[in-house]
Parts: sequence; C-alpha cells; structure tokens
Amino acid sequence: MILRHRLDLAAACAFVGAMAILPLVFPSNYLIGVLTVSAIYGIWAVSWDFMSGLTGRENFGHSLFIGVGAYTAGFLNTSFGANPWWSLPAGMLMAVLFALLVGLPTLRLKGPYFALAMLSGAVIMQRLMLIFWEHTGGEEGINGLAPLIKSQLGFYYFVLGTLVAITAVLLALARSHWGLILRAIRGDEATCQAAGINVTFYKIASLVISAAFAGAGGAMYAHYQLQVSPQLFAVVTSITIITMVYVGGMGTIYGPVGGAILLVLLTELLRRFGEWRLMVYSCALILILFFLPTGLVAPLWKRLRGFLRRRRAGTLVPVADAMEQQA
Amino acid sequence: MTALLAVANLNKHFGGLHALRDFACTIQRGEIVGILGPNGAGKTTLYNLLTGFIPPDPGARVALDGRSVLGLPPHRIASLGISRTFQLCRPFTGLTVLENVVVGALGAQRERGADLHARGRELLQRVGLAGREQVPVDVLSYGDQRRLEIARALAARPRLLLLDEPFAGLGSGEMADLSALIRQVHAQEGLTVVLIEHKLREFMSLVQRVIALDFGAIIAEGTPEAIVRDPAVIEAYIGRDAEAPEAAHAA
Repeated sequence: MILRHRLDLAAACAFVGAMAILPLVFPSNYLIGVLTVSAIYGIWAVSWDFMSGLTGRENFGHSLFIGVGAYTAGFLNTSFGANPWWSLPAGMLMAVLFALLVGLPTLRLKGPYFALAMLSGAVIMQRLMLIFWEHTGGEEGINGLAPLIKSQLGFYYFVLGTLVAITAVLLALARSHWGLILRAIRGDEATCQAAGINVTFYKIASLVISAAFAGAGGAMYAHYQLQVSPQLFAVVTSITIITMVYVGGMGTIYGPVGGAILLVLLTELLRRFGEWRLMVYSCALILILFFLPTGLVAPLWKRLRGFLRRRRAGTLVPVADAMEQQA
Repeated sequence: MTALLAVANLNKHFGGLHALRDFACTIQRGEIVGILGPNGAGKTTLYNLLTGFIPPDPGARVALDGRSVLGLPPHRIASLGISRTFQLCRPFTGLTVLENVVVGALGAQRERGADLHARGRELLQRVGLAGREQVPVDVLSYGDQRRLEIARALAARPRLLLLDEPFAGLGSGEMADLSALIRQVHAQEGLTVVLIEHKLREFMSLVQRVIALDFGAIIAEGTPEAIVRDPAVIEAYIGRDAEAPEAAHAA
C-alpha cells in the first residue's frame, strides 16, 4: 500500500488539488511558469531521494542525468527533427546509460568513489559541451526546441501529473521489500551481504531508476525552456536538489517533493529583496537545517498527522501515536 | 553422505602475517562445533574466508554439501545457506527491530510470498524480543542486539550458522539465556552451529567438539573435556597473562 493512512491520502489530494487550482485562481503566465519549474524540481528531488536518500550513497552529480536528458531532447528535436514526445523515453534511456557508466564501476566500491565520480561526471560533461561547441552550440547551447504541449497551462498539468505518478511509483517501491533492502544497505552493507543480499545490484538498480526519472525531468525542462545550455550540468543544480531533499526530509520520498516546491516558491517570493535575496535565502536555509536537521516538510507532516489523529480519537491512542512517530 | 562443510588447505596471508595456516576441518550436519583460540588466533579471519568476505590464498577447498563455494561473493554464499553474525553487532541502523529480521529473510528468498512479518515476529519471540518489534534498533541494549543478530541470521533459514563471539560483552545471566537459545535452535531445527569463543565456561557446556587455534594454526581438536586437558591448549592460554584466569577456571 502506497499510503499508510487515510490522512496521508487526504493530504496528498489536498496538495495536488491546490497545485492544480492555483493557476486557475491567479491566472498569470508568471505563476504557471514558477509552478512548472517547481514541479520539475520536484521530479529531480524525488528521484535523487529514491537512490541516495534510501541507500545513503550521496550522489553529488544529479545534474549529469538532468543535462544528459535535456541535451538528448535538444539533439533529437532540432538536429533530427524528431517529434518532441520522443524526447522523454530517449532522455530516460540516455540517463540510464550514463547511470550504468558511472554506477557499474563505482557502486561496487566502498568509500567516496561513487559521490566523486558523479560530481566529476557532471563537471566533465559540462566542459565537453563547451569543447565540442561546433556540435553542441557551446555556451549558447541548443535553441529552438518545439514545446511538448502548446498551451502553457496544459504543459504545467502534464508536468504536475508526471510528478504525481513518479512520486507514487517511488513511494510504492520505497515501502515495498525493495525499499526495505535499500534502507538496510544504508544501515550496514556487510550485514546485508551476510543476509544474502546482492548489495551492488540493488544500488545500481536504484541509481538506474533514479537516473531515468531525472532524465525525463531534464527532457521536460528542455521542452519548457525550449533551449538547453551547459548550465544544466552545473554542480550548483545538484547541490540545490540535495538541499531540497534535506529540507523535505531525506528518505521520505514525498518530503523532497514538498521541499523542492517550497524552495522554488521561496526563491520567487524573495525577489523583492533584490540583491539581498541570496543572503535571506541562505540564512533561511541555514536556520531550517540547524533547527530541523531531519528536515521540514516530512517531520512537520508526521507531527500534524499525529495531532489530527489524536483529535479524532480523543486522546486514547498514545501508543499507536508513538509507533507512528517512528514510522 | 558428504559432510555439510568440508574445508581443506585453507590459508590466508595478510602481507607477511600468516593469519590462517593450513586450516582443515569437516563439519557434519547437526553438530555444534566450537572454534577456540586466544585473541588474534585467526578465528574471525576463518569466518571471513568461509563466508566469502575475503578471498583465501590459492589452493584452498571449501565445500558446502559437496559444492565448492570458493570464489563466490558473500551474498551468494549466504543464499546457499551459510548465515553469520558479526563479532561487533552490526544491525541495520535506522530500521526497526522487526524490519531487521525481515531483511534477514529477504536475501535468501527461500519462501517467496510467505508472510515474512509473521515469521519475523515469531523469531523475535523465540529470542526473547517480543513486544519490541517497532522499536528502532539503535536503542537496543548490547545483549538485545546480540539476540537480534541471531534472529536475523535465523530468518534466512540457514543450513549452517556461524556465530562470531556471541557471548562477548554479555553478563552471566544473558550468557545463560543465549546458550539456552542456541541449544533450543539446535534441538528444534537440527541446525548446524559453529561458534567462535575465547571464553571457555559457557562454551564448554554447549559444544560437542572443539577446534583450538593459535597463531592461525590448529593446535588441538576434540571433545571439550579433552581440549581443556590438552597440553598445547593449556600452553597457548597460560602463556598469556590476560587469558590465564579464564583458562585456569575452565580447567
């Protein structure tokens, strides 16, 4: 079962409903744009969390998959004139290829090699996009992509729907025996091996799943911006995604979605601070991570859920509640 | 009938250190065998070699039920039926007690679709951790972590259970409980158990046969009664100040 409580389902519906209604209540292309970007970041954050949040193997180069997905979309759409819808499966496939390229040699090792290989993979790809500028358009990137869906609102709903579907799939996986094994890998790899679990297989498979969805998100982003540039591979993108996951609540899958949307909206709301924006943003982040080291979104929801259940049941279920706190 | 575990010519060098020297043994089904030896005798190295965590020097033979397991990765060996515990408890931190046991059963996949949670609860009951299923494993006491390790190892339904110093760090009451548990598992399921120990007291009443190691080599083998009178064993133990009181007590 994906959702453990009726309250979870209610909250998920309320959240998706709010996200869907917002652009209808405040119809502006600016808001739709912000929400679209936040939903794409949600896809990236949730896909990062599935691999790294559950197994504890930090991936410092998620932008590698994003950039590969986006450039695949760019090349296919402009050089080969392919239908934009081909970009999604192709972007996923290429991201998976890169995941195997980095994951197969490094995920069998202990130590920081995987994190470093992902980081350098993203940096190398960014440089390569500049070095082979004749083919990649260099700093300018590739321009003139066709949109996936002409209507901006329609595209937003498509991205939102994809985000919901991906989150549901990853949540179901995370709460299955698969997810239990991934969390056990985080706990102790040697014990996993002693229990007969092929640790390397599970790590690589989860990276492949993570990469596929990040690549799809990259392709969507390309067809949203109608342009791709080497900036997509930037390390700062990966760091932003990790920050979103931390704010959302690492390893909770649904939390990072909230974290991503929250931080994208926060960035926009802080525009009025002008040049102080980054300062305020950083201070807010530091405060959140300092006072809430397990994150903001998921822990807050767990507490609220506990409160609501207590209200509903009278205060008769402290035991069930305590158990839920640990869940 | 072939022996459950047949080991021959097992050697391991760590650089210049000959950690295990020409080790050989056969273990029959249903036996409880103790591996005795002072610290640094090569006991844990032996386990790591048997379970595939480190590769032995060339020329070794390790066969489970007549089938060579040499060169297989640890998870393959585990799923063939060798479960082990670790000297320092290594639970899956961040998981609950019950989840720890369930993960132990997932690797072997002997019973696809079976209710792993029910079996996990039953195992926890047997090791005396009933009622603590939903507790995060990190808050368990050391003795409880040891019980959990054994429940986790049993969850895989092993044919051979390797326990690495299961009594280390336990009080005498906990030791008696744990011995009773090992005896019970052995009696009920006919499970073959090998355990490592450098303490003699609990060990002696538990095992049927002892293999004594020192400096990586077998120095004696026999019944517990014979082992404690064996001159080589006495020398290995009395020769070490720290171990002397233990050995004297057991003898």
